[in-house]
Amino acid sequence: MANPSLSLNDTGRIYLDHNATTAPHKSVLENLSQWAYQWGNPSSIHWSGREPKALIRNARTSVAKVLNCQPLELIFTSCGSESNNLVIKGFFDANIDSARNEYITTCVEHPSVMKSFDYILKRGAVVHYVPVSRNGTLDIEFYEKHLSEKTALVSIMSANNETGSIFPITELAAKARAVGAKFHTDAVQVLGKMPINVESWGVNYATFAAHKAYSLKGTGLVYARKGEMLQSLISGGGQERGRRAGTENTLSIAAFGHIATLLSHDIEMHKNNMTRLRIEMEAEILKRISGVHFTGDGVDRLPNTSSFIVDDIDGESLLINLDMHGVSVSTGAACSSGSSEPSHVLLAMGLTRAEAQRSLRISIGWCTTSDEIAKFLEIFVEVVAQLRRLRSEMG
Amino acid sequence: MAKSTMGSKKPRVLVAMSGGVDSSVAAAILQEEGFDVIGVTMQVWDYSLNNCTITEGHGTCCSSQDVDDARAVADHLKIPFYVINCEEKFKSTVIDNFIDSYLKGETPIPCVNCNTFLKFDHLISKMKELGCDYLATGHYARIEKGAEGKAVIVTSNDSWKDQTYFLFTLNPEVINSLMFPVGAWQKSELRAYAEKIGLPVARKKDSTGICFIGKSGYGGFIESHVSKRNLRPGLLRRFASGEILGDHSGIHNFTVGQRKGLGVALGFPAYVVKVNAETSTVWLGEEKDLYSSELMVRDINWLSDFTDGDMVRAKIRFAHRGAEAKLCKVAATQARLEFYESQRAITPGQAVVFYRNNQLLGGGWIC
Repeated sequence: MANPSLSLNDTGRIYLDHNATTAPHKSVLENLSQWAYQWGNPSSIHWSGREPKALIRNARTSVAKVLNCQPLELIFTSCGSESNNLVIKGFFDANIDSARNEYITTCVEHPSVMKSFDYILKRGAVVHYVPVSRNGTLDIEFYEKHLSEKTALVSIMSANNETGSIFPITELAAKARAVGAKFHTDAVQVLGKMPINVESWGVNYATFAAHKAYSLKGTGLVYARKGEMLQSLISGGGQERGRRAGTENTLSIAAFGHIATLLSHDIEMHKNNMTRLRIEMEAEILKRISGVHFTGDGVDRLPNTSSFIVDDIDGESLLINLDMHGVSVSTGAACSSGSSEPSHVLLAMGLTRAEAQRSLRISIGWCTTSDEIAKFLEIFVEVVAQLRRLRSEMG
Repeated sequence: MAKSTMGSKKPRVLVAMSGGVDSSVAAAILQEEGFDVIGVTMQVWDYSLNNCTITEGHGTCCSSQDVDDARAVADHLKIPFYVINCEEKFKSTVIDNFIDSYLKGETPIPCVNCNTFLKFDHLISKMKELGCDYLATGHYARIEKGAEGKAVIVTSNDSWKDQTYFLFTLNPEVINSLMFPVGAWQKSELRAYAEKIGLPVARKKDSTGICFIGKSGYGGFIESHVSKRNLRPGLLRRFASGEILGDHSGIHNFTVGQRKGLGVALGFPAYVVKVNAETSTVWLGEEKDLYSSELMVRDINWLSDFTDGDMVRAKIRFAHRGAEAKLCKVAATQARLEFYESQRAITPGQAVVFYRNNQLLGGGWIC
């Protein structure tokens, strides 16, 4: 069972899909009703608005501290996707009259980034897509070649959701700064997995989602360095200093603030635990199953993420079998109907569609235990063997 | 395969759930009978490509109303449910053939290819890979033990709904792994049962027509998936004199027996009697010109033994009641069918399916 002092997952099922979402931390649940009692509108002048406003203010301060920025540099949104939309479209709209109209991003971004670029592309922006190599590293030469005095904004994720590859944000941001371009990083996958310091990254914008870090769904975050312009996507009241209209989600923001205080203390410990579990797990997989190829092998990766191709296996059948045995993992990105699709990230890395359909992603969490990994390995080994046996029988 | 470690002794059935009432009831019946049931829906089409014209679906990317309905039924029955991604396979085996067939002047039935390549091939593999003993669908058909104890397919008890016409391409070896739980039911009973057990789709309208065709119809679908230079415009000619009556924008807009949308007025009720793809000519004639007493059939799949010259009951389209005919073998998978009485509008691209009494013997494609 998952570590009971941290996790709400007491089902006995083994959850290894923390890059999709996380179960809220137990202490979030313990505080939930206390926050829910603060039901007033934070913008109200009368008494009912005071406590909720204070909750949001405190949350903003805690989150700013853990990211190493100023509270007023943070904009609470509804999710990571909204945050990415706000930065890319909001930046484009705020700079519509600028002489700089070129944008740089990569081929392996989250769909919310990809599709926001599609949106501004149709409205006159020029977008360059940095390719990646077979092991997931960025083509730095391409990046440098396309950076110029025409570059308005660069958007490169801190770490990839599917492969776990970490991109050298500090170095990439410095290169953008050198030509006067702004830099955004989609940092959704790093929150809760390793320490973050937006100041030392030297980025102008960064985006986050609270539910990836043991908080509640319904809260995303934009870091916009002081002085950086963004046009609000939502017209309305003046919340979030006019950059995100709409009554705040007090409950979820308060939970996020609470998690931020935990992150300040525990992130190194969690990072080390997850790294250890992942390394042990990967070594065992290689030892016990033939024909497994890790994607992003040999490059800097997130502590918790393992992505690999299993030869002679259909990823969809593998995932369903694991689910029927009580193990939750992922193959690439699931679409909203719940069917699995070949991952655009793996295809961009040069894998064939057939290879991409044999992929599996394991993402470990704070509450994952060695026992769970051992049990997962036992099931995984058996399921792979059975599927391979069937496949050879079926020809 | 999961069964070995889960300690379940119940036979496990994979049920292909479309989100319609028939396959939903199929899942419910099997559960009631004590099987370990797993529901799957095949994701076959990216609905965003059709600009939201499909009325059954919500019209949003990879989330049709039907998938949601199937999932709601599975939740109601508390059975595991998965969406199987079949988009690529559906495109290459169903859509591409459908388009090619229209461009060859035929009138295809994509549902047969969907059965051949997806339901009774891809899902058979999934059935094995997911440790299931059987695959069930909501087809109106029955499986019985034949003469030598061999499983055979027979028509459903509801003769109006019978769907054995779509099953003639089955590999005989898989029949033992199949279940058609609603084949013994009348549609009216089935709806009443769905209502009684509270299935969320109990009152859902039956699907009609082809699942991927939206409001723009067959012609519109072909035109939006084929480049203009591959369409086949040509002449309308009088059958059999050859008199030129006008021209048309593409043979894909015509099917044998069609009366509406011909684009010419001839002073008598005119029908398409023949489509010639080589010359892109559409031949128009009178109703009597539609009748013919024989046809050639290709790519026959046999589900039963057959002797040259056997009399069979042959259905030349889904809605056809069937007619007596003599089967004369031409080659291993080709035959000539001689009807006792002339048949109206024998249409190339449709299937002709053979029966002896109520047993499905096999079938092939009309040339």
